Parts: sequence; structure tokens; C-alpha cells
Amino acid sequence: MVQFTISGHDFELDQDRVEHAVDRLLPDPVREHYVVVSGRRYPPKQVISCATGLDRADFTTHQARRVLKRLGFQAARVTHEQDPSEASAGGPHGGRQAAALAPFVDKWVALASPTDVIVAADTPQEVLGWLARHNRRASYGMFRVPASLHEAEGLAPQ
Amino acid sequence: MRFEFLELPGETSALLRPVVPVQVEDLEDAPQLCLVDTGATANRFGMWLAEATGIDLSGAPESSLVVGGVTTTARHTRVDLTVAGVRYDAPVTFCDPWPFAFNLLGQEGFLRFFRLTVCAAESWLELEAEG
Repeated sequence: MVQFTISGHDFELDQDRVEHAVDRLLPDPVREHYVVVSGRRYPPKQVISCATGLDRADFTTHQARRVLKRLGFQAARVTHEQDPSEASAGGPHGGRQAAALAPFVDKWVALASPTDVIVAADTPQEVLGWLARHNRRASYGMFRVPASLHEAEGLAPQ
Repeated sequence: MRFEFLELPGETSALLRPVVPVQVEDLEDAPQLCLVDTGATANRFGMWLAEATGIDLSGAPESSLVVGGVTTTARHTRVDLTVAGVRYDAPVTFCDPWPFAFNLLGQEGFLRFFRLTVCAAESWLELEAEG
């Protein structure tokens, strides 16, 4: 349990309560900072706002990150640099897409690039609604992440 | 317009396939990755796309198909597709279940509308709308 004060209000949170609070919440677009909750990347302020009920204008990203890191969540910053070792692997994505999709098996996802999952949800309607609300485009497609190699490839000749 | 071959979503091998992004009706936010299948007689899409774009399938002819080893119920209709910047009215079969992360482009509804050049040696394909 972590105790903290934001905007004059005292709170007590633990990992479970945060995970429960965002359980059905689709992540907003990540611009720079994100925190990983239940395998999904959220803007830190979205998580703290949801878990505390505070308005996002009442605190900073730095405050949100600090609290979430104390709670044990991984916080990081978006990077667009490519690992040279990955770039040299076979295929245009070198298996990176499969790795990026691995946490979302059986979910519906929208991709902005081969490895950039911008939203994941249980139904296509949720994904389309999210795209419309946030004025985003799944430039690299929208689909249900295959649960097996058969679903990924079908039974076409290799 | 040229399209580089790509891996299918979720594929772990480095196998590259001839795929083309397709817009279904006015679903601009979510273009669909489609595998070009010269052996397919028609376009086969997941049923969710019909629901997402408000396509009325009541009264549409129905049949049973086996696609990629999956037995599925197919509803046949016509919809607007946009491929390589060209919007046209195409016959499409919407299938349920459709477990694949890609859709299929076949002869009716795709190859009849585009001249296709495939260079598998260099992993690309080119589309030119038929006059």
C-alpha cells in the first residue's frame, strides 16, 4: 500500500486497486510517457485520474509517474529508435510484430505501424469507437490477434 | 501502385505474403489487411466488418464454405471497396466464424478490377486499375 497526497487530497492505493480501476478502461493515446498496467500501456495521468477520481488538470505527469513507480508499475518513455539487432532479423518486421502482438492474443487491436498497438479491446466495436473518439487511424490495420498459427496463416500451402 | 509483401499479423515465421490494405465502405479509420489469393473465386471478409459498417445482410444469399480449413457461414452481397485509391462496387462474401487476422481478395471483386503484377523474387506486387 502506498500513501500519497495530490492536489491536497490524501490517497492510499495498491497495485490491485489500480489494476481493478483500469480493468475495463481502454488506454488513451500515449504521447510521451506511459505506464504498463495489466500488460497495456496507459498515459500515467489517465491511470491516476481513474484510480483516484481526480481531474487530470489537478496533477502533473511527473506526479502520476512517481506514484505509479512507487506502486511497482513499469514507467517508461516512448522511443522510436530501432534496435539494430532486430532490424537485421529475417522479414520486414523480423518477428517484432509477433512479439508486439503477443500480449493481445484473442483481443481486437488497431495498429499505427507494424509494432505500434494503439488500442486493444474485447470487441471490434470498442476499437472503432476508440479510434473515432481519439481521431486516430489504424494505418496498419485492425484485426483480432490470432490465437494460433493456424489462425495467423490459415491452411494455405507454405 | 506498388505494395511490398508483408508478414501476416501474428506470423512468427519470416514468410512474406502479397497483401494489400483495403478500405471497406467508409471505414477510413481501419483499413483491412487483405491477402491476395489468386486461387480464391471471391473476396472473403470477416462478418464483423459488415456489422461495423452497417451493411444490411438481411435477405443476402447464404451458403456454407470451407476457407483455410475453417467451415464458415457465408453471406453474399455487394459493398464499396477502396483499393489503391480506387473506390468501386464489389461482390464480397462476409463469413462467420472468421478466425483469421486477414481477409481474402479473390477473382470476383478484386482481380477483375485490377491488373496485377507480382514479383515474389523481390517481394512486391503492383496494382493498376483496369480501364
